[in-house]
Amino acid sequence: MNHRALKRKDLFWLALVVLLALMPAVSAVATNTFLMHVLILILLFSAMAQTWNIIGGYGGQTSFGHSVFFGIGAYGAGMAVVTYGLSPWPGIGIGMVAAAAVAVLISYPCFKLSGHYFAIATFAIVEIFHRMFLVWYWVGGALGLDYPVVEQGLKNFMWYDTKTGYYYGALALFVLVFGIVRFLESHRFGYYLRAVREGQETAESLGVNSQAIKLTAMALSAALAAMCGAFFGQYNLRVDPSMVMSLDMSMKFVLVTILGGAGTLAGPLLGAAVLIPLQEYTRALWGGLGGGVDLIVFGVLIIIIVIKQPAGISGMVRDIAKHIERRRAAAKGGTSIDAP
Amino acid sequence: MVHYKSLIKPWLLVVAALCALSGVVPSPALAQEKVIKIGTIFPLTGPVALAGQRCKAAVETAVEILNNKYPNIKVPLADKKGFLDGYKFVLVHADSQGKADVGKAEAERLINQEGVWGLIGAYNSSVSMPASFVAERAKKIFMCGASSSAALTQRNMKFFFRTASTDEIESHEFVEVLKWLNKTQKNANIKTLGLIYENSVFGKHAAEEAKKAAAAGGFEVITDVPFTPGATNLDSEVQTMKSKNPDALFGAVLGADYALMVKTMKKMNWNPKVSLNYCSGYQDPVIAKQLGPDANFFMGSTGYSPQFSKMMPAVAEVEKIFKTKTGGVPYDSDSIQESVAMFVLAQAIEKARSLDPETVAKTLYANTWTSPLSLSGKVAFAPGGQNKLSLSIITQLQGGEYKRIFPKESADSKAVFPITAWDKR
Repeated sequence: MNHRALKRKDLFWLALVVLLALMPAVSAVATNTFLMHVLILILLFSAMAQTWNIIGGYGGQTSFGHSVFFGIGAYGAGMAVVTYGLSPWPGIGIGMVAAAAVAVLISYPCFKLSGHYFAIATFAIVEIFHRMFLVWYWVGGALGLDYPVVEQGLKNFMWYDTKTGYYYGALALFVLVFGIVRFLESHRFGYYLRAVREGQETAESLGVNSQAIKLTAMALSAALAAMCGAFFGQYNLRVDPSMVMSLDMSMKFVLVTILGGAGTLAGPLLGAAVLIPLQEYTRALWGGLGGGVDLIVFGVLIIIIVIKQPAGISGMVRDIAKHIERRRAAAKGGTSIDAP
Repeated sequence: MVHYKSLIKPWLLVVAALCALSGVVPSPALAQEKVIKIGTIFPLTGPVALAGQRCKAAVETAVEILNNKYPNIKVPLADKKGFLDGYKFVLVHADSQGKADVGKAEAERLINQEGVWGLIGAYNSSVSMPASFVAERAKKIFMCGASSSAALTQRNMKFFFRTASTDEIESHEFVEVLKWLNKTQKNANIKTLGLIYENSVFGKHAAEEAKKAAAAGGFEVITDVPFTPGATNLDSEVQTMKSKNPDALFGAVLGADYALMVKTMKKMNWNPKVSLNYCSGYQDPVIAKQLGPDANFFMGSTGYSPQFSKMMPAVAEVEKIFKTKTGGVPYDSDSIQESVAMFVLAQAIEKARSLDPETVAKTLYANTWTSPLSLSGKVAFAPGGQNKLSLSIITQLQGGEYKRIFPKESADSKAVFPITAWDKR
């Protein structure tokens, strides 16, 4: 990728962030709280999926354990507010550090496993943490943590009467996570990570310390996932193990990324932009009918997308762009740059 | 290479689904009519979907009676069409999936997008907690039928009202039963207690209240066994209880888990002297039928059972409508409370002669409401929104029927004590 293409790509992301920042200024958006809710979830789940993408997409290590880090972040913020009556901010910081530490402790032995075995080990870790938090009295056990009513605003990161604060919070999270990944993508660490994904032995033979690279990526991914978890707790004003530290939540990290396109910067955003509105609107439209009609429709749509384009939505977008480019080239009487 | 046209097809489906979002925009036509929109939030899918579906049917039953004229039904407002000079209820249903975050999002959507006047739900205490918080901030009335966590009515909310008993009240009632058995049964000698409960907000709250009530009543809790809801095996949990062998067992076990617990107790050939159970595992008539004779001799608190028909004669006609919505399944103690909540709300609106939620909330607090679907026949709310007249009777399944055994003045049968051993049935 040349320097000019890099700049064009960054301009696209910058324009997107400006557009997203202006959204609440449109009264039709700001007054539609359900639409705001969907937008907040798209930004949050994009960021969550991007944190997974660091280790799962760029690093090629399929982790089903990210809800553990997400949950630790949620509990960090939740305990700061509910247990200690503080602002959530110190809890968010502690949660991020704790999640990174736990990620390193767990990953060190697990990275010795390869392929499916690593994925299976991370499954087990979610179950262990879920059950541990269910019976751990200090963190509220199965009762979880219910937020008290405190002063609204940035200090407590809580808003009751408007979603605008949460929206900008989610946007800041989105910019931070995507910004970090964009930076890593074009720097040495990102290249090393992709080299480890493509062939660990080959990368090591060229002097890459694969274990250190993977551990660093996992720690970074976990710390950022914890930040997303803290946001989730603050947004729902409740934290309990089934809500934040479950296989269900772990699957969302993976599903959004895979659906959008793993190992690409845009993939998590595309995945969340399709999956979250589908999930929320199918539930709003058909959830009340009972019988899980919304979940059936949601599932069928995912199957269709995956069958039609296993490379995810970003692969789909790439194919459409190439096709248009070829047709344009053909219309001009020339040949496509991609033509064999 | 994937063909361009084949790529378009899934996108069209996705776009079509997104276009359907216009369907969630509230219909302006309803605003012109004399209707009050009520949002319901129940777990219509997930592990307790059956209970949620019955709660939804219970609200629909009450609304059908309130919106139409049923002179043969002896509940307030049934004898006239609509209320408040021709107003009718319109229900907008939402599925919480039994998840707190989904329930909260649905409460927000119902209030802000659907424009509901009030909410009813949400069965799971963990969902009722955040959903009612949303309603309170929006100054919307939240009628809660069956959520049993005592914490819900300890928040000093103005717009939250619960008609059912709490696990705190039931725990004290269970301890009274133990004392009564010690007094009336020869060689009962109940001293120790075991707890088995699902590791959820409901189960944990019930267990905590049980411990407090047991300590106050002088009973010693010798085993405390939580399990993950939706369990596929309870062997180790039942084995733990068997090894400690408490005299009495309190269970907070819902749905299919309750059936599994009873079957495992039979498999391990163990029973305590008496087993008392909270909420809808024991109370569920479908589960009692599935278990057949194995369900017998267990006890629990019951707010309603078809065997109570003589005590609650008005229920029969209402239940006929309810059964048409549930495929013949009768009310249980939980679902009937959702109908009670709806009937009480309608009476309060009628009495207040106002649709101002604050006026209706004050009216709800200021009066005692006639409730033929409640065991006590009346509903009145204490500060915080708890129905201070809620009542439940301790029943024991005998021959597949819920027999009333305690308190004495409500009893129609004698308690079988101790539980008959599995090999002697």
